[in-house]
Amino acid sequence: MTEVYSIDPLIIKTPYEITYKHSYGKTSKFFTSLSSGKLMTTRCEHCKVTFLPPRADCPNCLRETKWVEISGKGTIHTVTTLYFSGERFLKDLPFQLVYVDLEGVNTLFLTRLKTKDMKKVKVGMKIRMRISKELEWRSSDVWAEPDE
Amino acid sequence: MPKKVAAVAGGLTYFSKARKDKTQEELVAEAARMALFENDINLAKDDIDGTIVSYFSDHFEDQLLFGSIIQDYLGFNPKPSVRIEGGGATGGLAVRDAYAHVASGLLDVAMVIGFEKMSEVNTAKGNEFIALASDTDWDFPIGGFYSGYYALMARRHMEEFGTTEEQMAMVAVKNRNNAQHNKFAQTNPNMNPFAMKDGGKITVDDVLKSPYVSYPLKRLDICLMSDGAAVLILASEEKAKKITDTPVWITGTGAGTDAMRAGDRPRTVGGVPMLPHEKKEWYRKLEYPGVHSFRAGRESARQAYKMANITNPLKQLDVIELHDAYTSSEIQTYEDLGLTKYGQGGKLVEEGVTAIDGDLPVNPSGGLIGAMHAVGGTGVMQAVEMLWQLQGVSGKFHGSDKTQVKNAERGLIHSHAGTGTYVTATIMER
Ligand SMILES: [Zn+2]
Repeated sequence: MTEVYSIDPLIIKTPYEITYKHSYGKTSKFFTSLSSGKLMTTRCEHCKVTFLPPRADCPNCLRETKWVEISGKGTIHTVTTLYFSGERFLKDLPFQLVYVDLEGVNTLFLTRLKTKDMKKVKVGMKIRMRISKELEWRSSDVWAEPDE
Repeated sequence: MPKKVAAVAGGLTYFSKARKDKTQEELVAEAARMALFENDINLAKDDIDGTIVSYFSDHFEDQLLFGSIIQDYLGFNPKPSVRIEGGGATGGLAVRDAYAHVASGLLDVAMVIGFEKMSEVNTAKGNEFIALASDTDWDFPIGGFYSGYYALMARRHMEEFGTTEEQMAMVAVKNRNNAQHNKFAQTNPNMNPFAMKDGGKITVDDVLKSPYVSYPLKRLDICLMSDGAAVLILASEEKAKKITDTPVWITGTGAGTDAMRAGDRPRTVGGVPMLPHEKKEWYRKLEYPGVHSFRAGRESARQAYKMANITNPLKQLDVIELHDAYTSSEIQTYEDLGLTKYGQGGKLVEEGVTAIDGDLPVNPSGGLIGAMHAVGGTGVMQAVEMLWQLQGVSGKFHGSDKTQVKNAERGLIHSHAGTGTYVTATIMER
């Protein structure tokens, strides 16, 4: 039965659901390595650049990259606390997002910061990356925690 | 050699959080009718040679190939049409594409049709659709939300340059209060029958006291979500001179790009692409672009200025309509456009330079914060606004003379996607 929202103008409700079978392709290793507690990403030996998120192909020279392990230690480059979000994350509010500058990585990595004391968080603060014990095979399987 | 191209007519709808009274194609017809019948032109609908259709998301209305519905609804079949999509910069890219169509001689008279109807899903779902225009493998699953991404960039701008929440609030006040003299604006309940009820003028204090959405951005620092449409007509020199006595020429256009994930952008010391009036030593120590500046915006401006022979934008431009998705991004964009040095954007608004009565008014329409952000319509709205400014007829269309920048001869429109992934800058002159 079509659900009617209004008569004038006539407005009807049309639900929509979909499931994608999404491949992580050659970056799958990032996620599968998490189950052995390792934080792996890719590096272009030609350009001497390490990328996180990983890329199978170097955007600078288009050569194939190699997998390397990283320590997951770093600092906060910038931080925000969210009080509103897209529909899927409303249940998590409030939460913090950070760009972290990680040892041995040339890019900044966007992740959640999990801490009991959100007020103490500041730019430049030391953090370390944590890996979830219950993997969901999403980028939310890793996050940062204060390390000082 | 490309042909000279002029804007000759424009039309807008009333913008609203929800235009339940009309379908998307009916909204487009409202704007097209204004473009054809309310501008002082000698042009019949049949003189349009083709259309460039500008909308962002198929998700909002659960309808793919909407361009075809529009082409049919306006009665332009079997003439050529193309759909342009580039996130928030969709409209700017569409105007640029229409310019290319006319400059190349493919079309003599082109209609750019920009629109979005965002109200048929709830606000949180709408925000989610917008966030799907971020990397869905990496950035979206951690809580992806554009206000969060922009807040991270704004926080870094504060850290790097000392920009303040008060300065951001001043942008909101300027744009929102400009919109109170523009009858199309969503925040203008006195002139727009479809406006939000809690619109009207605001103060810096109102902005600072509005609730945080994502620190440092508060509710009043953030742009609108709108239903509505904008239509612009471009013509070749030969046609334009027959259509109108007041053509407005497109004398420069540029487009830039950057990484979808802002964290992947370089942080090159002293890496700022220079504009003609700038000195390398200003930025010797600055890591660029990082997440505090929009390299795509700088690149689009650099190209547009070169094409239009602009060597000092602050002096040579009379008015700007730019993509103020957030108050912070208006400040960042001042710097990318070279209106002031990197790091000084906050001071520019503080000193009143970009106020309606300042040296270089920015967003006299009210922009995305005061007037509208119906994504695919936004960049087209800016071009329509600039056309009317340079023709000196803003008062007639807005229903108030207060938005008209006196004696404006040359202006810039700026359209921006993602966290600065696609940006266009276009120069218009009378
Ligand atoms: Zn390489």
